[in-house]
Amino acid sequence: MIYLYMGKGGVGKTTCAAAHAVSLADSGRKTLVVSLDPAHNLGDVLDVELGDEPRKVAQNLWAMEPDFEKVISKYLRELTERVKDVYGYLKIFNLDNYVDTLRYSPGVEEDAVLRKIMEILKMKDYEEIVLDTPPTGLTVRMLVLPSVSLTWIEKLMELRLRLLGARRALEKLSGEKLVIRRGETEISVPTDPEDDPIFKELEALRKEISWVQGILTDGGRTSVSMVVNPDVLSVREASRAIGVLRKVGIPMRRLIVNKYLRLSETPSELEETVREQEEALGLAKKELGFLETVVVPLFPREPRGFEALREVARFLA
Amino acid sequence: MQEFISRFKEVLEGIFRGKSIEYVGYEERELENVFALLVLGSFVGLPSPPTTISLRLLPHMGRELVIMASVSRRLDDMLGEMAGLFEIT
Repeated sequence: MIYLYMGKGGVGKTTCAAAHAVSLADSGRKTLVVSLDPAHNLGDVLDVELGDEPRKVAQNLWAMEPDFEKVISKYLRELTERVKDVYGYLKIFNLDNYVDTLRYSPGVEEDAVLRKIMEILKMKDYEEIVLDTPPTGLTVRMLVLPSVSLTWIEKLMELRLRLLGARRALEKLSGEKLVIRRGETEISVPTDPEDDPIFKELEALRKEISWVQGILTDGGRTSVSMVVNPDVLSVREASRAIGVLRKVGIPMRRLIVNKYLRLSETPSELEETVREQEEALGLAKKELGFLETVVVPLFPREPRGFEALREVARFLA
Repeated sequence: MQEFISRFKEVLEGIFRGKSIEYVGYEERELENVFALLVLGSFVGLPSPPTTISLRLLPHMGRELVIMASVSRRLDDMLGEMAGLFEIT
């Protein structure tokens, strides 16, 4: 099972994800917890040093903080090599420098996170995978990416098939093989989808993306929890994000209201805060009442380390 | 007479084939243009597929890049392009 924790920056996604992972590991399940937020703090919450590879941090529990710069660099390096293979004549230019700027292209960061998720999902060593995601904006874009990509791929494949059909008709009518002449050399033009590298690349992409989309939209394999704080802004943002994700078929399981202030007596300075809390809870009930809701109190100290996380997990259960 | 008819048929077939090649060729060229424009549209400010799709296809798009460059060159002569389209000589 894959558990995804998402929400606005600073609401406590990492704490909830880590607490859940600790409780899964305590129950005997082999669990991997991964921080997908480029600004990692999973290691700080678990109070252990983490790196790019899964590290065993407790009985049945592994954790990792992937290096997304490395993921992007590796992807662009591979791409540069493939581009160089095809456009050999470009070797005279400094192609590396040009391709390097692609890392700042819109969508590359989301793609790197998605690519890492795909890599993690292929790991067979774990029974449970808990993913702590980046703040809502990036996560929503990343989760919507497979669905958007599939729409584009379908349309491009449709167009490519029409184009290949037209090429075949042209060959049949003229009785000659279609070729491109570049100087002295003649390069044949593919007319069959089986021989067309572009069509094959689109097919491969569709297969990869459909696979990850299938997992993300399967409520039996993926459970998404939205973490909010008891304030109106955080609930409103969550509500909008859930709306977008529902449109692309990603099921939402739980709403976690984290850092709820519980006081035996309310000092006058905090009366307004408590009122806003109740207002936010009312809004959450109204707009997100269809989700299972869990309330986690604000702890006197930021939960850090396994014992503190077990305490948080008690409320998540 | 029979020879004349068969020759006439051949010429007629040739004309029809030539016309068909012209029309299918035109459609094929337009499809090549549309495909190139869709995948590499960000170069000319069109909404394009998610970057990863364009990047994955880029190594195979050499021909399409040549097409786009030649189309943009032809656009300098829009009148000629339109005249060619409507067969005005």
